[in-house]
Amino acid sequence: MLLTSILGVPFVVGLLCAIARPRALVESLNIAGFVSALALGVKLFKTVATDNGTAVTEWDEFLRADALSAWMVLLISVVSLATSLYAVHYFRRGLAAGVVNERRFREFYVLTPLFATGMFLVVLANNLGVMWIAVEATALSSVLLVALYNRKTSLEAAWKYVMLGGLGLVLALFGTIFTYAAAIGKTPGETLPSFNWSRLVAMAPQLDHHLMTLAFIFVLVGYGTKAGLAPMHTWLPDAHSEAPSPTSAMLSGVSLKIAVYALLRFHIITMACLGSGFSRNLLLGFGLFSMLLAGPFILVQKNLKRMLAYSSLEHVGLICVAVGMNAPLTVFGALLHMGYHALTKPVLFFAAGNIHQQFHTLDFRRLGPGLVRTMPVTALLLGLAAVAVSGLPPFGLFVSELTVIAGGFTSNHAWVSVVILAALIVVFCGVLNKLAGLLLGPSDGAQPRETISASNVAAMSLPLGTLLLFTVWLPGSFRQLIEQAVGIIRGMP
Amino acid sequence: MNPPTSETGSQILTLLASLMLVLQLLLAVQPMLVTNIRIFALQSLLLAAIAGVVGSAYHAWHVYVIALLTIIGKVLFLPWRLERLVRQIKIEQEIHPFVNMPASMLICGALTVLAYVVARPITSLERLGNNTLAIAIALLLTGFFLMINRRKAITQVLALLTMENGVMLAAIALTTYGMPLVVEIGIFFDVVIAVMVLGILVFRIRETFASMDVSKLNELKW
Repeated sequence: MLLTSILGVPFVVGLLCAIARPRALVESLNIAGFVSALALGVKLFKTVATDNGTAVTEWDEFLRADALSAWMVLLISVVSLATSLYAVHYFRRGLAAGVVNERRFREFYVLTPLFATGMFLVVLANNLGVMWIAVEATALSSVLLVALYNRKTSLEAAWKYVMLGGLGLVLALFGTIFTYAAAIGKTPGETLPSFNWSRLVAMAPQLDHHLMTLAFIFVLVGYGTKAGLAPMHTWLPDAHSEAPSPTSAMLSGVSLKIAVYALLRFHIITMACLGSGFSRNLLLGFGLFSMLLAGPFILVQKNLKRMLAYSSLEHVGLICVAVGMNAPLTVFGALLHMGYHALTKPVLFFAAGNIHQQFHTLDFRRLGPGLVRTMPVTALLLGLAAVAVSGLPPFGLFVSELTVIAGGFTSNHAWVSVVILAALIVVFCGVLNKLAGLLLGPSDGAQPRETISASNVAAMSLPLGTLLLFTVWLPGSFRQLIEQAVGIIRGMP
Repeated sequence: MNPPTSETGSQILTLLASLMLVLQLLLAVQPMLVTNIRIFALQSLLLAAIAGVVGSAYHAWHVYVIALLTIIGKVLFLPWRLERLVRQIKIEQEIHPFVNMPASMLICGALTVLAYVVARPITSLERLGNNTLAIAIALLLTGFFLMINRRKAITQVLALLTMENGVMLAAIALTTYGMPLVVEIGIFFDVVIAVMVLGILVFRIRETFASMDVSKLNELKW
């Protein structure tokens, strides 16, 4: 019942929020829902990790959670919880200022748990077709969240998001069908072969090679669009900058990684089927291109949230490159990086949300220096998170990036590591330069000081604290779980 | 493995699939919005007919379910919903594509040829009716072209839906029985919800921009 309840809790919360009237009830329902989702996620993680990576299955293998899924469940629940904590203060302030109305407020609290349910289903579904349906469901539930403010620009962003996303998903469905077709006629006595990932992996070498090759290309372009891989990333900065900050945090913190996860499942089958580096090299190429593209855009960016969106592009690129190198160390680094990034990015978006509510703009030229004087708490947390996201110690992203780079050097991918280093340095300079200009320096003193609530500070400092904690002390069971997930990705469970 | 296909069944399938492609080309040159929606409905009806023929050829009851879902969803509900949307927001009927009609016809023709070339190496894997896979890919490519060639939000939605028709045709052509029922039903509901969401969005765009011309959505750059 564990997997069913992970899916059921946020879904029921979403339904309850649609009928619950008092605002406080809606808010606490969301928080309570995600706290229990996190508790269930931890329980799943313990079950999988202690059972030596044996997958948990339910409903006749319809739902299946191995180490990789358990890891993703943890990420989704942590980011959703941080989001629901932060959203309380954010929307109360928005309602008071009249930028959101009652209806949009309720829309947010109904759609966010449904969005999370969709993501949980992506990682828990065994059937690849159901996984596609769930990815589509996450896209549909987040589109209206992106358009929440109903500004011209947010509608434009939502339209681009839904059209490009829809296009990508049609291609991904094509690829999914090809994968299914590749399995037809390979098991005697079955007219309808199983569409379950676990079965497809087990019979991977027998799958039709030609169809699998085509399938992976379609899936890569399709889910790659959802993951924001360049050059299909054009919706990403728009959607991430126009969405309300809590939604940006969910989109950037986990939604992109969910698409990467979907891609990984096909990558594993393709690798086992073709026995060559075909899918690996494609991931490596697209990842490197995304990383190299993100840097220049960050350097010239004038909008804080757009800059953060390009930074997400860079991190997704790094994850794909690391998986593409396929050394035990790099894949380990990639999974660790997913986790650390999921803890960091929301904080940055939350801080950007605070800044936007204070100054009603995110334009660097108009925010201007000395934010640390007018918004000391937000500025401090933003600064710390920026240090973390640019890969500086003592934060975890430094460790995971170093792991990936070291893994590249020890596995005949030295040139890849050099390119990664170059790209990271560009991004590092860009992010720190922009934020130093924003945060430090004298302020003109005319601005009122920020008022910040305890829940707001908690929502921002808890992920950062967790990040620091898990940087200096990665529990053995976590390491075990990630190592099991590495085994799954590299095709040797 | 596959039951022997009756020669007539295969020919009927090819005929129906080609008619779907003909309707797609008609979409590329038809300037009236409501007519476009009806052409899409007709195309979906052909898809349902294909599923029906497959179902009767193989005595597979779940393919009948797919046919029924297609009729309810894509032939009746979605066109009705889209036409209501068109009436609600009182937009002018004429579509102004970026590329003029003869040129779009030529481009669609070229894309169809391309689809046949792409599909050639894998046509041997088709379980049913010759050329259905090539036609499915042609629907995908021309749908893609229709999408970038249209300014109006609703016509872009229609283009996306025709691409989805192409994917469903490929599913039937490549796998004989379509996909497991749970997947088909899920896809069906996803498409219906997608159109509802898009409808809401189109409505809001229309209210905010006083227009449905998506080429006016151009404020966000890099």
